[in-house]
Amino acid sequence: MIRIQSLAFAYRDGEFRLSIPEFETSAREKVALIGPSGAGKTTLLNLIAGIAVPDQGEVTVDGIAVSRLDDARRRDFRITRIGFVFQDFELLDYLNVLDNILHPYRITRALTLTAEVRDRAAELAGQLGIGDKLARKAGDLSQGEKQRAAICRALLPDPDLVLADEATGNLDPANKFRILDLLFDSAERHQATLLAVTHDHELLPRFDRVVDFSQFRAEDRS
Amino acid sequence: MIGGQTTRRLNLSLLAVLWGAAAVSAAAGPLRIHTVNYPLQYFAERIAGPHAEVVLPAPPEVDPAFWLPDAAVINQYQGADLVLLNGAGYARWVGKATLARSRLVDTSAGFRKDYLAAETAVTHTHGPSGEHAHTATAFATWLDFSLAARQAAAIRDAVVRLQPRLREEVEENFVALERDLLALAQQAKALGLYAKGMPMLASHSVYQYLAEAYGLNLRSMHWEFDQTPDGEQWAELEALLRRHPARIMLWEGAPQAGVVARLQSLGIRSVVFEPVANRPGRGDWLSVMRANLVRLEDALSR
Amino acid sequence: MRDSLYIAWRYVTHNRARTGTLVACVTLIGFLPLALEVLLDESERQLLSRAESTPLVVGAKGSALDLVMNTLYFDDEIPEPISLRAADEVAATGLALPIPVYARFRARSHPIVGTSLDYFAFRGLRIARGRQLALLGEAVIGAVAAERLGLEPGDHLVSSPETVFDLAGVYPLKMHVVGVLARAHSPDDLAVFVDTKTAWVIQGLGHGHQDVTTTRDPSVILARGDGKVVANAKLVQFTEITPDNIDSFHFHGGAEDYPLSAVIAVPDEVRAGTLLRGRYLEQDTPLQILRPRDVIEGLLENIFRIKQVLDAVIGVVGLATLLAIVLVFALSLRLRQREIDTIFKLGCSRGTIAQLLAAEIVIIVGLSAAICLVLLQIVDAYSGGLVRSLFL
Repeated sequence: MIRIQSLAFAYRDGEFRLSIPEFETSAREKVALIGPSGAGKTTLLNLIAGIAVPDQGEVTVDGIAVSRLDDARRRDFRITRIGFVFQDFELLDYLNVLDNILHPYRITRALTLTAEVRDRAAELAGQLGIGDKLARKAGDLSQGEKQRAAICRALLPDPDLVLADEATGNLDPANKFRILDLLFDSAERHQATLLAVTHDHELLPRFDRVVDFSQFRAEDRS
Repeated sequence: MIGGQTTRRLNLSLLAVLWGAAAVSAAAGPLRIHTVNYPLQYFAERIAGPHAEVVLPAPPEVDPAFWLPDAAVINQYQGADLVLLNGAGYARWVGKATLARSRLVDTSAGFRKDYLAAETAVTHTHGPSGEHAHTATAFATWLDFSLAARQAAAIRDAVVRLQPRLREEVEENFVALERDLLALAQQAKALGLYAKGMPMLASHSVYQYLAEAYGLNLRSMHWEFDQTPDGEQWAELEALLRRHPARIMLWEGAPQAGVVARLQSLGIRSVVFEPVANRPGRGDWLSVMRANLVRLEDALSR
Repeated sequence: MRDSLYIAWRYVTHNRARTGTLVACVTLIGFLPLALEVLLDESERQLLSRAESTPLVVGAKGSALDLVMNTLYFDDEIPEPISLRAADEVAATGLALPIPVYARFRARSHPIVGTSLDYFAFRGLRIARGRQLALLGEAVIGAVAAERLGLEPGDHLVSSPETVFDLAGVYPLKMHVVGVLARAHSPDDLAVFVDTKTAWVIQGLGHGHQDVTTTRDPSVILARGDGKVVANAKLVQFTEITPDNIDSFHFHGGAEDYPLSAVIAVPDEVRAGTLLRGRYLEQDTPLQILRPRDVIEGLLENIFRIKQVLDAVIGVVGLATLLAIVLVFALSLRLRQREIDTIFKLGCSRGTIAQLLAAEIVIIVGLSAAICLVLLQIVDAYSGGLVRSLFL
């Protein structure tokens, strides 16, 4: 599913460099990424999602070389094929929960907002336990609710690949497992691959594979 | 700028309408002329003939000089095309009423300098305006028939101004009236010459113009023709007679028989000389005035 | 664009204070010069229409503007008085109809305008309730004055002393309101109309008092004799003219010397107007004759010069405000960098982000334009009254 070869990436200020000789996941595999903070786990997710583009090497998702697509196509690819649960949720405070979930549909032509999509959004929100919070402004939600809204937004377009950056980081143990189950179920249902960054070792046994990020060379010159 | 030629033309036509408002309304029917006394009504009727409806709103029993019309009557005056005033302080209500200046015609304005002073005036002082006097002018101007003719001329001018198309007819009517008035004047003058300054009395001070114009040596009492004078008044008369041995007394109306008789005993003949300020019971202004002169002539000739 | 507008609408309604401030600023920038324009247009229309409908004004030499403003708008700058003779002189020329105007006194801040009946016909003023002036001491009042003072025919209105220190013996006159005029949408609506003679009574030139020749009160009469009576201030002067005392009201001196503030001369044709104007060209006459239109046009020129300056000031202020708005936007972009990053991360193109921001601007400008339009409609609808109450 994901194939990375001879990847090298540096932020423009040049203070952080990441190089990954090889990394691969198979389809529908559930992989946990662990490693110390600042190791470049989020950077790797950004590179896979096409938010960042490698300086060298190639990122292929489902046979498509994401890093070689032009900007517009890379965006469309990301928005239609990849569900991204950001570490700090990236919700817009001035929109209510439903509008946040539907937001990707409103900012790109690659997705079409239909009544069916709305129904599905409501259903998914229900499954995530925020069905009654759809009309609430995102700014008024608790951390856990925000996280569920972010997951809901990521899963709504039925992505082939779900990238989760600390998706259970702010949850109590009960909820942590519930959300993880949901992520797993959803990935299962959509036959999607799941790549999740986590610090929570309790969760690791649930994954098919655990990749320790310390094996890759990361330099933080700051 | 707003306006320009069109507005100006509009304005001008509007003003023309206003200025000649009376003329316009008159074109639709007879002129509506209101007067403050009967002589002016008579003159206006003679001059305008059928082209005017001449109204004297004062009731027949009052002296129009001292009558005070109410607001409703003043509103009638306001609706007239012309309001003929006698001037010379006649009808003081005019000075207390609101009338359109443009419709007022002071028929004696042309001879203001010839106004005569009234005999009774009291000056008084109070307040910041200093000494001042009330009423000072004699107003029965029409008893000088030449002045009456000039008042008639003023009426003619006013009618012609409103109805220029009637100029000839109005002029003709005026000339006929003027002829009658001048004939009266002629007759009165002859009487004056005949009287040769003979002392005469008047029951009231209304004959100033008659006396002045025709040389009558007239002194006025303050007697009312329908009242019997009291002792004080008789005493006043007797005192006056010592300085002014009159043989004739002019009365505004027929005096009481007793008074006539007592005067007769003093050698004074009573002669009714009606000023006809209001409509007479019989005849018209001219016939009454002619009869006045006949009575005076008759008294003088005895 | 619809989605962009939706999201932008959510943003602007979420940030109400910021949006409100921006909308207020943009609205003001648009509204101020336009409203000023509307009001000036209306004042020009009113000033000119009144001036154009008043062909000529005769008054004392001095400020032409004061004379015209007092005669046309009953302004409280009172020109030097002229005498009634001036009206007689106009009448004597036969060239124009003279309408006397004596706008000097006030009654509860409303101008008392002494004039003749011709004024009402000239201005096309109609009695709505009650009747026309008939007798001394009566007043007919404009529609607005009636409304503000709460007066109807049958009520009374007392003239105000000219100054607090007016101790010269001028008694306030209790006037009888006999009629209320129909609304004319002109300064006449605010005025209290009386006969010139009533105005002279207010001034003390005419008065009524106890009959000095018959009163026997020794404390009133100081001296009597030789057809002369001297009375003291205890002599009862009437402050109201009633049917009972109207006979005692009298004027002293020749009426032709009585004061007026102006005479409106209505010539019967243009040539007559020109001829009449010619008669006032001599240097030694204390009178001047004016075409109000000329004077008002002069005034308007000055107003427009002031307006140009005002426009420039508004322009500069507007530009500064616009720059401030641009700055607000620029700063808000910085503050919203994180949010923009989020949208970008979700898959939004830079073009769409620009569209979102543009949609916000469209909404703010659109809201401002709508408010501005409504306000202008209101100003326009009320401009007539507004101009009359503000300027005239």
